[in-house]
Amino acid sequence: MSEFQNRIEAQRQVLAIVNTSGLRVELLGLSAKSLERWASANFVTKDDAIFGKLTEISGSLFFLATKSQEQITEDYSLLSHKVSALMNELRDLMCNVVESR
Amino acid sequence: MHIYAFGSICRGEVDLASDIDLLAVVQGRDSRFDPETFSIYGYERIKAIWQEGSPFAWHLSLEARLLHASDGLDFLRELGKPARYTRSDLDCAKFRSIFGAAYSAIKEGSHSRVFELSSIFLAVRNIATCFSLGVLQRPDFSRRSALRLEGDSLAIESEIFELIERARILSTRGHGTLLSDAEIGNVLARLDLIESWMDRLVAKAYRLRHE
Repeated sequence: MSEFQNRIEAQRQVLAIVNTSGLRVELLGLSAKSLERWASANFVTKDDAIFGKLTEISGSLFFLATKSQEQITEDYSLLSHKVSALMNELRDLMCNVVESR
Repeated sequence: MHIYAFGSICRGEVDLASDIDLLAVVQGRDSRFDPETFSIYGYERIKAIWQEGSPFAWHLSLEARLLHASDGLDFLRELGKPARYTRSDLDCAKFRSIFGAAYSAIKEGSHSRVFELSSIFLAVRNIATCFSLGVLQRPDFSRRSALRLEGDSLAIESEIFELIERARILSTRGHGTLLSDAEIGNVLARLDLIESWMDRLVAKAYRLRHE
């Protein structure tokens, strides 16, 4: 599997964590605009830890979430262990968010 | 520093779904450029993709328009033509695989169906771009390249194509009306057809490379 495909898979896993958590509105992608739309629809504020974590993950996977043409060139740094760690933190945060509602 | 526009705006293909693609070619790290707005490349990386003959190099070579040059020169023009693109079989197979992963996720009951349809649009668009450049030798970098491959075009209703395009815009730009269950159902009913079309392109690209 190419690095680019790994990044799509990483995004798929992040969205699965969020979209199976029971929040009302589905997260559609990890671009800044998609995150804002999702947060607004689910009454998540920009100060919430969950929003910060998703923004952090989005930053790590940014090119995947926004552009398509240049993705052909495989011009990305390696998907780091950092993203896996962030996903684990995201899982914990999602549990707390849903339990608190 | 060199700044270029490329993409739909340079082709005059402007509609409400269009964004403006901007490229910044910079020396080292340059924090003045927001990566949400610019594709940011170093000079050496641009030279490398030119030597590889990558589709993105061809895209820039054929469409990019210079907006600003700190040295007064058009850096991309000075590079001349990129090398011949020879990886269309591998790239087509890669995008076929991306389609396959998204289709499998949907079949397995994904809770992120808009994202999966967005990935399908990405795969459809990019396999068509690679095919047009590598096999047909008539590069088409537009969002609708899949519908412009003449005898190899994707034969689906324009409404279906617009739905997966809408999913792409929702996923990447957070803009647009959500797809209803009925609309998603209509797209899902066409995924086998899209899969067969992709398989044909992959097979043709492979034959061209190995004959």
